Amino acid sequence: MTVVDHARQGTPGEAVDGVTPRFVAEPTSGAAFAAALAAAAGGRLSTVIRGGGTKSGWGRPVDAVDLVLSTKSLADLLVHRDGDLTATVGAGVTLARLNTTLSARGQWLPVDSAFLGTTIGGLLATNDSGPLRQRFGTPRDLLIGITLALTDGRVVKAGGTVVKNVAGYDLGKLVTGSHGTLAAIVDATFKLLPLPHASATLRAVYTDPEPLAADAAAIAAGQLEPLAFDVRVADTPDGPRWTLFVRFASSPVAVSTQLEAARALVHGEPTALREGLETRAWSEQVGLAWESDPSTALGAGAVVRCSWLPSRLGELLGLLRALRAECGVTFTGRVGAGSGLLRLTGSDAAVGAAVERLRLDTSPVGHVVLLRASRPLRAQVDVWGAAPSAPAAALKRALDPASILNAGRGPL
Amino acid sequence: MERLSEELRGICGASAVLTEPVQLLTYECDALPHLRESPAIVVLPASAAQVQAVVRVCAREGVPFVARGHGTGLSGGALPVPGGVVISLARLNRVLDIDIPNRQVTVEPGVTNLEITRQVAPFGYYYAPDPSSQQVCSIGGNVAENSGGAHCLKYGFTVHHVLEVEAVMPDGSLTRIGSRLADEPGPDVLGLLVGSEGTLAIVTKVVVRILRRPETVQTLLAAYDSISAAGTAVSEIIAAGIIPAAVEMMDALAIRAAEAAVHPNFPPADTILIVELDGPVAEVRDLFATVEAICRRTGASTVEVAADEAHRLRIWKGRKAAFAAMGRVSPNYYVQDGVVPRTKLPEVLGRIRALSERSGLGIGNVFHAGDGNLHPLICYDESVPGQAELAEKVAGEILTYCVEAGGSITGEHGVGADKKNYMPRMFSEDDLDAFQQVRDAFDPQRICNPGKVLPTPRLCGEVPGPYREHPVERAGLAERF
Repeated sequence: MTVVDHARQGTPGEAVDGVTPRFVAEPTSGAAFAAALAAAAGGRLSTVIRGGGTKSGWGRPVDAVDLVLSTKSLADLLVHRDGDLTATVGAGVTLARLNTTLSARGQWLPVDSAFLGTTIGGLLATNDSGPLRQRFGTPRDLLIGITLALTDGRVVKAGGTVVKNVAGYDLGKLVTGSHGTLAAIVDATFKLLPLPHASATLRAVYTDPEPLAADAAAIAAGQLEPLAFDVRVADTPDGPRWTLFVRFASSPVAVSTQLEAARALVHGEPTALREGLETRAWSEQVGLAWESDPSTALGAGAVVRCSWLPSRLGELLGLLRALRAECGVTFTGRVGAGSGLLRLTGSDAAVGAAVERLRLDTSPVGHVVLLRASRPLRAQVDVWGAAPSAPAAALKRALDPASILNAGRGPL
Repeated sequence: MERLSEELRGICGASAVLTEPVQLLTYECDALPHLRESPAIVVLPASAAQVQAVVRVCAREGVPFVARGHGTGLSGGALPVPGGVVISLARLNRVLDIDIPNRQVTVEPGVTNLEITRQVAPFGYYYAPDPSSQQVCSIGGNVAENSGGAHCLKYGFTVHHVLEVEAVMPDGSLTRIGSRLADEPGPDVLGLLVGSEGTLAIVTKVVVRILRRPETVQTLLAAYDSISAAGTAVSEIIAAGIIPAAVEMMDALAIRAAEAAVHPNFPPADTILIVELDGPVAEVRDLFATVEAICRRTGASTVEVAADEAHRLRIWKGRKAAFAAMGRVSPNYYVQDGVVPRTKLPEVLGRIRALSERSGLGIGNVFHAGDGNLHPLICYDESVPGQAELAEKVAGEILTYCVEAGGSITGEHGVGADKKNYMPRMFSEDDLDAFQQVRDAFDPQRICNPGKVLPTPRLCGEVPGPYREHPVERAGLAERF
């Protein structure tokens, strides 16, 4: 047996990126989680922390995983202080459950993830976000407090339950985006927002990317305040399609006024989307890059995340148009104000070439990360695209000296 | 030390290295003047390369150093280490790049907060965080303290507006942290660095994002006969789904002081509530009507809507003057900075009123009601034996109320040297050890602004000191919060 309390044999159903873990445990408290981590560190067990498992295929491929620690049993805690617009939730609570609970009191955590089963721990560990980041930022911007289980067996907290607080180091932000490489998240406290009373979206379809980029720049330079702002890019058999989405949410009058102002600005073919149509359009948009492409026999397609300076949106759209000819991939994805997700469909060689193309020094994009791809491709291409910075590496040595966390899959 | 100062002169030039006691006086404290220490050397580098060379020398010699911006900090974060080096960033004061299409500005750390807005205002943009010292405080200091301001309820703090920094690490290496592009893979080291109070690195370049000026701004002032009625109004505004740009409250003593100082013509009231909305005209017009109705419904005796910009500025002048105006009603006073959950405001303010009666010291309250950030002003007379000490005790007691209510010992002024011994009230020994572990990852030699943030030694009895007017306040350049 293992040195970790209450661990059992892993099953193929619990595989991490296709690898069955030797052991699985579901600690039921922060203290138990920390004890398990300390035992794993003592035994040098390669350890993966798992929330909803919705992104467990991300990262470098691994050959072996000794231990999976699930946050499933850290799902009891959900304190909603609606008068203070804050909530504290266990790492194992799903975003969907959290937002269902919050909506009963007219509030929400304004993050849109493509993954329905994503947990709060996973959301933070990956700093997952969607089109709502236009207004609200990413989870790191909404996080105000955190409890962590460390590999030395301690449970520590940082921040607090008030929205304004500068006491101590912000360890919550530190673990955001760390992909489970520094510590385990036990619970998190967020500032919340009131649910808007009304919402509507302007959709505008373009035959060429240039006018879309110009319209996007015009909206950004104006005084409209969209809730979300996104572009759908899709390479279809009839050629590429470009669609701009701009969502306004506020009081009903303010929404209508802004929608009309935006309609007057855009040059694409406009349609106003409300209620069910609007909900469906955004839900499709959020999940767009992750869906399988039914028109191809090449599997689900690789997913690449990248970012750019807003002024280079036009160059990015132009580059996408050239990818088919240059690299032999087709693309579908969502492109926001400065960041986006692209599904690239093609052979591994073609996708690999496209990633290289996106990473060229002359490319308009940066931080090109290969999130989803076949194991061989992820073994061949550097999925993260960059070595950790010196401070990040020093923090890894300080917080995970035995280097057990995330089995070498993460960015650290 | 003589050899060290010679070497620093070689790096930065003779005029950039100060060692004469009279020259060092200016650097003995920041805007918290009761904490003073004399450094051995003050050095004023003029470039990142010079900062790097200075830090390398300090690291080689094991000499502690303290970075300093414009010295407006309120927690002794720039308090020198005796025998150490103060590195002033005042000469790194260039605006390096203004990128309007991408809404980013790159500056050196000695540039003032307001200078960024001045530079981009002609294009219709501004830099959102607005600490009250914004005319004089440095952006490097804002990064160190994660500065907020009156508008952070809607717009957040410095950490939400800084994209990338260049920093000199305590070993003298130069590194980039964060990115002008979104979604840099890996942990958010920038989020850790912002607000670390100069204890992890020295920032030598800062890229901030700027925002488009809102189409309109509207402000109202409502007068109430009780703090709880005003508190109810704030709750109802938020329950109506409105996040105002600012929600401020003042109590009777603060109103009286402001009236005596700048005559804002505030109505007579127990509590004044100021609400500001900004955004697109259609939205603000619509939501402002709701706010006005809520204020009337919750029992405001008067609701005064700013008719024009001059009127709006008069309201804010009264609000912002309240602090310095305390001098009109009391010979001396202490300022405290604490946070409570917004819903606990009436309860904690009730406790503060009881404390005021019990101690016999007047306590004025001016606060950011939207986010529960309190700034109690404790009045005393230092010519009365024992009153200064009593005021110190009262200030500490208020922090206890904040922590007991689930809040924080500091919302925006920082821990620094001033409140480090209050940290154990909020954090366990394990929490503090983890902070130290993180700090040691950056600064294993413990030479980068030592003696700040974390209690050393734990639990010794330092207490925050009384307020004394800072020269920049005397010159009318800044208010405190």
